[in-house]
Amino acid sequence: MTRLRRTLRQTLTIARRDFVATVYTPIFLLFLLAPVIMGSFGAVGGLGAQSVAEGSADRARIVAIVPDAQARAMIAADARLRTGFRGRDEAPAELVTLRPGADLPAQARAAFASRQFDTSAVLFGPLHRPHILYGPRGGRSAVYLELLAQTTLAAERLGGALPAVTAIKLPIQRTRTTTGGRNQSAFLAVFGIFFLTLFLAGQVVGTMAEERNNKVIEVLAAAVPLESVFLGKLLGMFGVALLFVGFWATIIGQIGSFVPPAVAAGFAELTPAVGPGAFALLFAGYFAMAYLLLGSVFLGVGAQASTPREIQMLSLPITIVQVAMFALATAAASQPGTNLARIAEIFPLSSPFAMAGRAANTPELWPHFAALAWQALWVAIFITLGARAFRRGVLQSGSARWWRRKRQPIDMGVS
Amino acid sequence: MGSDLAVSASGLIKRFGDRVVVRGVDLQVRRGQIYGVLGPNGAGKTTTLRMLLGIIEPDGGERTLYDSPHPRDASDRVGYLPEERGLYPAMKAREAIAFMGALRGLPWRTGRARAVELLEAAGLGHAVDSKIKKLSKGMAQLVQLLGSVVHQPDLLVLDEPFSGLDPVNQERLEKLIVAERDRGATILFSTHIMSHAERLCDRLAIIAGGQRRFEGTVDDARATLPQRVHYQPRSGGAELAALLPPDAQAEPGGWRFQLPDDGVETLLGRLLAAGHGIAGLSIERPGLHEAFVRIVGGEEPR
Repeated sequence: MTRLRRTLRQTLTIARRDFVATVYTPIFLLFLLAPVIMGSFGAVGGLGAQSVAEGSADRARIVAIVPDAQARAMIAADARLRTGFRGRDEAPAELVTLRPGADLPAQARAAFASRQFDTSAVLFGPLHRPHILYGPRGGRSAVYLELLAQTTLAAERLGGALPAVTAIKLPIQRTRTTTGGRNQSAFLAVFGIFFLTLFLAGQVVGTMAEERNNKVIEVLAAAVPLESVFLGKLLGMFGVALLFVGFWATIIGQIGSFVPPAVAAGFAELTPAVGPGAFALLFAGYFAMAYLLLGSVFLGVGAQASTPREIQMLSLPITIVQVAMFALATAAASQPGTNLARIAEIFPLSSPFAMAGRAANTPELWPHFAALAWQALWVAIFITLGARAFRRGVLQSGSARWWRRKRQPIDMGVS
Repeated sequence: MGSDLAVSASGLIKRFGDRVVVRGVDLQVRRGQIYGVLGPNGAGKTTTLRMLLGIIEPDGGERTLYDSPHPRDASDRVGYLPEERGLYPAMKAREAIAFMGALRGLPWRTGRARAVELLEAAGLGHAVDSKIKKLSKGMAQLVQLLGSVVHQPDLLVLDEPFSGLDPVNQERLEKLIVAERDRGATILFSTHIMSHAERLCDRLAIIAGGQRRFEGTVDDARATLPQRVHYQPRSGGAELAALLPPDAQAEPGGWRFQLPDDGVETLLGRLLAAGHGIAGLSIERPGLHEAFVRIVGGEEPR
C-alpha cells in the first residue's frame, strides 16, 4: 500500500469515528434543531412585538381639517394613493377628516390631544399652502399629507377627479444582470458563508481535547501521522456540518415552494455574474474552503488547550476572527476590483468569502479555480503547522528550538 | 531480503528542555523474540519506546523498525499498548477494538468479527456491546490490549502492560504474550516487575538514568551477581569462622558466603577434616530481582 493511500485511509478512519461519535448522540439532535429553537424564540418575540405595534398602529391617524367638499375628494385621493403601498408597515396611518372650526391652529393642536386616536400629523389651511403639524414620529405622515393635498388639489382643478389610467402590465425577464442584483448576490453569498461558518466552524476548536483528556492521543499518534489525525477530525466535523446544511437546505427548499410569487420574484432579481448554476457550485466550494480554513486554524489553536475552560476562552477570539473576515469580505464585495478587494481575495482566511462575492460581481471563472487551489494549499499549511505545534508542545517531540539549544556534551556513561 | 531485526536502535538521545532523559540507548530486538525493557520509574523506558514507534522524534541516534528508518512505514505491522491507557468512553468494546484495528489497516467488518472472537476468548463475551465507560478499569485495559493485537501485528509493543491488572488478568496477559510469540510475533514490552520479565523474556535490556546498563538473557543478568553458598555445619566452634571465606556471615542455623572462584570442594574438604561436618549445603543462584537492584543501583556488572 502506498504511503498516500495509507494516509488517506487513516484520515478517513479518524473522520468516520468523529462523524459517528458526533452524530449518534442525543445532543446532536439538539444541535440539528437549534435553528428551530432559535426561530421559535424569534417568532415568539416577533409576535409580541407585532401585537404591541399593531395595538398602537390601530389607533394611529393622520388628520386633515378641510371643508366637506374637499374632504370627499381627499378621501378618494387617499384611497387611490394607498394602492401603491404594500402591507401595513409601509402604508400611512388611517386618514381622518375634520370640519374646520374657528381657530384652525388651536383645532389642529387639539387633535394631538384626542383620546379617540393617536395623531401623528395634522393638515389645515388652504390646500395650495397647507400647514402641517407633526409629532415626534410623524415626519413621513407629514410628507404623505402634503402629497395628499397636492393630489386633491389636482383633482379639483381637473373638475373633481384625476384622469383615469388603465395600464397594461406585462412581466419581462431581464436579458442581462443588473448591478443591484449582482451586489445583492455578492452580499448574500458573503453573508451566507459567514452565517454558516459562524455556527459550524467554531465547533472544531475543542475536538482534540477529547483525545487529550481520554489519553487516546497516544494510540492515535502511534498509528497515524498527526497530520492525518488533524485532517481526519476536520473532515469528520465537516461531514457533520454538511449533514446540518443538507438537512436545513432540504427543509428550506420545501418551504420555498410555498413562497408567494412576489417574494420569489425578489429572488429572481439575484443575478450573479457567473450565472446561477456556476454560482451555486462556487458557493458550495467556497463554503467548504471557508470551513476547512477556519476550522484548521481553530483546530490547531484549540489543540493546545488542555481544559474545557481554556477552550471556552477561545470562543471570543474565534468569533472576532470570523466577524473580521466577514467585514473585510463585505467591504471587498461592495468595491469589486479595488486593492481592498484584491487583499481580501488573497488573504487566506477571507479569500473564500471575498471570492464568493467576486463570483457574483464578475463573470470570469478561471480566478475561482486558482483561488480554490490557493485556499486548499493553505488548509494543508494550517494543518501541518497545527500538527507540528501539537507534536512539539503537547507530545514534546522534536528538539529544543535552535536559540535555546545548548550543545553541551551528554554523559553517555558505560553501556 | 531484510535483516532478522524487528527493532534496532543505536545511540538514541532524547532531551525535554534542558533535561536529557535518554542518553544513547542501543537496542536490537530479533524477530520472534520476547524482549523486555526493564528499569525503575523514570528510567526512560516509555520515552525510548515512543521514539522507537515514531510518536516522538529522537534528538540523536538512529532507529529502524523492520529495516525502515521511518517507523510510520511499518505502523500497520505494529500493535501498541501505551502506558497511559486511553479509549473513547462512549464507544462499545467491539467498536473500540475494530477502530484500533482500522487505524492499522484492518477492514472494519473484519475488525468487528475478530473483536467478538477476542473478547469471548478473553472471557469478556458479555461485554461485546458494552460501552467502555461501563467497564471496570481492568476490563477496559484488557479491551485496549485486544485492540492492539486485533490486526495480528508482527511487532507488539506493550508499555507497562501488567500495571493495573489483578493477578488473574496478569496471568491471562502472560498467556496472551506467549500466544502472540507462538503466532510468530515479536514482543517488546517494558516493565519494572521482575517476575514477569523472568518468566517471559528471551532477552532483556535494563535501563536506568536514561542509559542502558545491561543487555542479554535473564541468565546473563543473573550471572552478573555471584552465586551464594548456604552452609550448615554439624558442629560449630570458634575455629569454624577462620576456615570459612572472609565474607561469610553467620545466620541462624548456618553461614552464608559467596561461592569461591575455585568452587566449594576444597573448602568442604577442609571443613570435613576439621570435623565440622555438613548438615546442609545449598548453592543459590541470584534472581533477576537481585541482579536488577544491583545493576540499577550503580554497581558495574561483572
